[in-house]
Amino acid sequence: MSRLNSPAGLLINRRRRISFCFEGKQFEGLAGDTLASALAANDQWLMSRSFKYHRPRGPLTMAGQDANTLVQLEGEPNVLADKIEIAKGLIATGQNCNGSLADDSDAFLGHFSRFMPVGFYYRSFYKMPFSKYKDSWKYWEPTIRRKAGLGELDLTFKPQYYDKEYLFYDVVVVGSGPAGLSAAITSAEAGARVLLVEEQPILGGSLTYHRFDQEGLVADVLRVRLLAEVAQNQRIKVFTKASCNGWFTDNYLPVIQGNRMFKVRAKECIVASGSFEQHVVFRNNDLPGIMMSSAAMRLMKHYAVKPGQSAVVLTGNDDGYFTALELDDQGTDVAAVIDMRENKDIHSNELKTILADRKIDLFTGHTVYEAMASKGNKKVIGVEVRAITGQGTVNNKGFKIACDLVCMSAGYMPVYQLLCQAGAQLSYDDVASEFSLNKLPAHLHIAGSVNATHALSAVLTDGKRAAIIALNNIGLALDQPVPNVECQRKVNFHWPIFSHPKGKDFVDFDEDLQAKDIVNATRLGYRDIQLVKRFSTVGMGPSQGRHSALPTARLVADSTDRNMTQTGVTTARPPFSPEKLAHLAGRIFTPYRRTTMHRRHLALGAKMMPAGNWQRPAFYGHEKDRDQCMHRESVQVRTKVGIIDVSTLGGIELRGPDSAEFMNRIFCYTFLKQPVGKTRYAVLTNEQGVVIDDGVSCRISDEHFYVTATTSGVDNVYRDMMRWNTQWRLDVDITNVTSAFSAVNLAGPDARKVLELLVKDTDLSPEAFPYLAYREGQVVDIPARFLRVGFVGELAYEIHVPSRYGEALWDVLLEAGRAFDIRPFGIETQRLLRLEKGHIIVSQDTDSMSHPAELSLDWAVNRKKPFFVGRRSIDILQAQPQTRKLVGFKLAKDFNIDDKPKEGHLVLADNHLTSKITGNITSCEFSPTLDMIIGLAFVGIHQCAVGNTVYIKVDSGALILADVVKLPFYDPDNLRQQI
Amino acid sequence: MPAITPQTFKKRSFVYHKLSAKHYTEIAGAAVSIHSVVEPQATVSLCDLSNLPRTGFRGLKAAQHLLSVGLPIPAKPNQAEKSANGELVLRLSQKEFWILANTNCEQSGYSKIDNLLNTTVPKEQCFALYCQDSHAWLLLTGEYLGKIMAKLCGVDLSSEAFPLGSIAQTSAGRINIIVVHHHFNGQPCFSLLCDSAAAEYLWDSLCDAMQEFKGKERGLLALTNS
Repeated sequence: MSRLNSPAGLLINRRRRISFCFEGKQFEGLAGDTLASALAANDQWLMSRSFKYHRPRGPLTMAGQDANTLVQLEGEPNVLADKIEIAKGLIATGQNCNGSLADDSDAFLGHFSRFMPVGFYYRSFYKMPFSKYKDSWKYWEPTIRRKAGLGELDLTFKPQYYDKEYLFYDVVVVGSGPAGLSAAITSAEAGARVLLVEEQPILGGSLTYHRFDQEGLVADVLRVRLLAEVAQNQRIKVFTKASCNGWFTDNYLPVIQGNRMFKVRAKECIVASGSFEQHVVFRNNDLPGIMMSSAAMRLMKHYAVKPGQSAVVLTGNDDGYFTALELDDQGTDVAAVIDMRENKDIHSNELKTILADRKIDLFTGHTVYEAMASKGNKKVIGVEVRAITGQGTVNNKGFKIACDLVCMSAGYMPVYQLLCQAGAQLSYDDVASEFSLNKLPAHLHIAGSVNATHALSAVLTDGKRAAIIALNNIGLALDQPVPNVECQRKVNFHWPIFSHPKGKDFVDFDEDLQAKDIVNATRLGYRDIQLVKRFSTVGMGPSQGRHSALPTARLVADSTDRNMTQTGVTTARPPFSPEKLAHLAGRIFTPYRRTTMHRRHLALGAKMMPAGNWQRPAFYGHEKDRDQCMHRESVQVRTKVGIIDVSTLGGIELRGPDSAEFMNRIFCYTFLKQPVGKTRYAVLTNEQGVVIDDGVSCRISDEHFYVTATTSGVDNVYRDMMRWNTQWRLDVDITNVTSAFSAVNLAGPDARKVLELLVKDTDLSPEAFPYLAYREGQVVDIPARFLRVGFVGELAYEIHVPSRYGEALWDVLLEAGRAFDIRPFGIETQRLLRLEKGHIIVSQDTDSMSHPAELSLDWAVNRKKPFFVGRRSIDILQAQPQTRKLVGFKLAKDFNIDDKPKEGHLVLADNHLTSKITGNITSCEFSPTLDMIIGLAFVGIHQCAVGNTVYIKVDSGALILADVVKLPFYDPDNLRQQI
Repeated sequence: MPAITPQTFKKRSFVYHKLSAKHYTEIAGAAVSIHSVVEPQATVSLCDLSNLPRTGFRGLKAAQHLLSVGLPIPAKPNQAEKSANGELVLRLSQKEFWILANTNCEQSGYSKIDNLLNTTVPKEQCFALYCQDSHAWLLLTGEYLGKIMAKLCGVDLSSEAFPLGSIAQTSAGRINIIVVHHHFNGQPCFSLLCDSAAAEYLWDSLCDAMQEFKGKERGLLALTNS
């Protein structure tokens, strides 16, 4: 492991060595190394293989911007080796190989590339002649996926803790290059709270690796000064190793750092995201040892790694010259600088002179036409250089230069992704040969090279310019004019694409797409860039077109005779960089609600079931004993006494002089004259006349009602009440008191006896407290509301108490009931008991079309009163011929319980399986009290008469016969609930 | 005399099953945790005050009622103001007020809230609310209040954006919550009022959010003495 001398190696700690394993071999790196830099320091340049042809790949950007270094870690696939830091004991392997990374038995695939043109699998494997497989893709898919590779998921992986946090800033600056630093400092100095987001481990962006002058001093001096200003300013919060992965309306920015996603709200957002250096398209431009100029600079400046012994620099701008100087300074033999520009287009004679002084050969108007590889394509060993004769064309003959490093710089592409997500438009400047961004939304600004500003002084000013505009927007304007920024520096070569007849001139490294693949896609009719993307998969790999978008746009524009602005690039969508599902899920908030008696149910062995976001006891006992538990509990209620927690029932209080009028308008029945101390069944319909909820109305005083609602319906009922009264403006106060009251239903012939042991201030006799009455009193010393209701068809008291007493109420009732063998029962049992009584449950026995007449609830609708919600619709509906009705049915006594119909099973018009559907089962259960299977079902109106037979189609497809019966099934004279 | 436990009284907190406290005292006829099992010097503490008295009134004459019993009226909705006796008056809308007991007073002081209900309440346009039962009351104290809440709530509750005396009626961890920024023992704190049925959920969510800051459950007395 050899390293360059300081000050090279900004990110590494030379005193701390770290050992790790790659491809089964032990290596040593330094703290701060990425896996890629540590391997490069050990002269291991082969790090992964390509997706399609299994071509050897090494570092391309050294910034986590490409897919060339995807590796497999223990427990995590598809990790970028140039992004992941090494840690003690790290174990990694290459990806996309069959066998080992060094000896991949699928490497031969590249030789057959002519048989695997773009989109080949769409066409080749869709149908296969003479195949027994009609859809042969099912046959081929596993093979292709296996060959294509990528990493392997560890299904035994233990999930880690990820979470989210909201942040709020005046200004968020994305990117900490010179423009971002300038913008952040300017903003903070004016008093703004600033968040500075940087993807890399250190601030500075290009200042950390780029060379801006012949001596190589400017960047370091400037970076130290700017970082000191940032450090001294308390208003700047710095996030390094953080990625702003999207832009959403009103500057809502997801920023991922470590295991946390920050949801950042920014008043102003300045994107100084920089630009991606672009590669040159020539044959074998993907060999290990061929990389971006910036990657070589990063290796040297960040990690003190010498990127090669003998280098060729291929450039279309001045930056390549600076790379050559840095390489030369660091001891790499620079064999040549190949400048694609004509001599007349190179304006800096100083650079040419300094190369000459250092005896570095310069070839202008030339390009690398082909790179030569060592055995197995594992490393570049030389290049063939040819003179450029026109757009993409070269001389027939050239010359060769031996080298083990090729640095490319064809120009830059703005990091446009966040901005295009925000609606910015990309326009191509033919003179500068680069895209620029415009039409940004308000409060979003750009600065630096993403804004087509490249000269360092202009970049700094541009950062300041963006900050001043942002500050003006939030009223923190400095007493400074907005500076005018001009930059004439041209950095892009207009056509860095040199197709080779033998191909392997890669446009997209992720998907092994060559220049001809893009051109062929357009020839097949896919002229639109979006279609080219989908057909060829260009830009669909992990690097999301960072390097392929610009050459693809050029190739498509050229082959479809359009200009670059017309062609454009594909849509940029979040996320900007790959993010884990864990980041999106984060620490999942799944609210739950518990009644005050929850733990008592658990202690009694309840099988809990969800009811909205509540948990309720279904029954008490083991899940597998469901039927026996329910039967036991139902018999208990019918013969002795049972208790059920009904705290989840909705509760709404209506107070004020207009409360009776409000009740009368909102519910179907009449409530103006409901006596104080009495309860009344209340049905709620919507404006369409559909039954949407029901409950019990208790009149506590002339101006005070307490109304229950269903567990799942109360929030809607409350909302509807508030909405209606916004229109009606009645003098009534409406309060949702669901959580304020805990409640139980004490039911069974012995219910009164139990309650009499505890209630001393209220006469519980049937004369003093008859069926459907409401009273208030105390259970021991717990203040309580008592409702005599009949939902389960037995003598029953609903007892509602302030929630702080809920658990104690349960305790005292069970204690007092012990003498009467009291037992708790769950809602499954309650559903059976009410079914025996023929009582409906809204939403189980109703649907979104059910009106009162279909449910035999005409008695609960007062059509004489002038108005109630849904009144007009009900009138219209009931004027029409009715088509269906909810009826009770029973099956034959000897019907097998296990074969009983299920809710949702269809009711047919007659005994033919193909006959018309007339309804469906809504409830069905075996009744131990009646010793038969009973249920409720919607049936056709012609089928609803008592005594008719209806036909039910069950899961097996068989038809079973049921008899329509009169409701209720149990205690038809309702005597038991009135005792 | 047997030790007081959460089940000694019939009034019980909505989160007492979550508490690790071993020592309780009687306040207003219910057990209130005074010390948790361990009383470390936590930078953040969560305390259950659900059993402390509180009430509320809504209606056109609610403000008049509070004034008649000597309570202050915050100038605008979503503001809180302390009374001379230390009760906290929350103005949740133009005509809705909640009154939270002084967290730092002698036993006898807690009955003042009950007196509010017993004092002549205007017969019209002043309706007592059920916040003693409909809502749980948790107290978050110490440093990092804003940062802890930022893990649950999409509203900026930093001290700059949410100064002392502010109220936010918002959502935290996907449930409705009322956050009040006030002083406890001279230190800034957040009183959190949430649906009593979801109190255990919020308790768990806050404990989870506090972990990063070494937050701990603490009893009322421990908080008062810290």
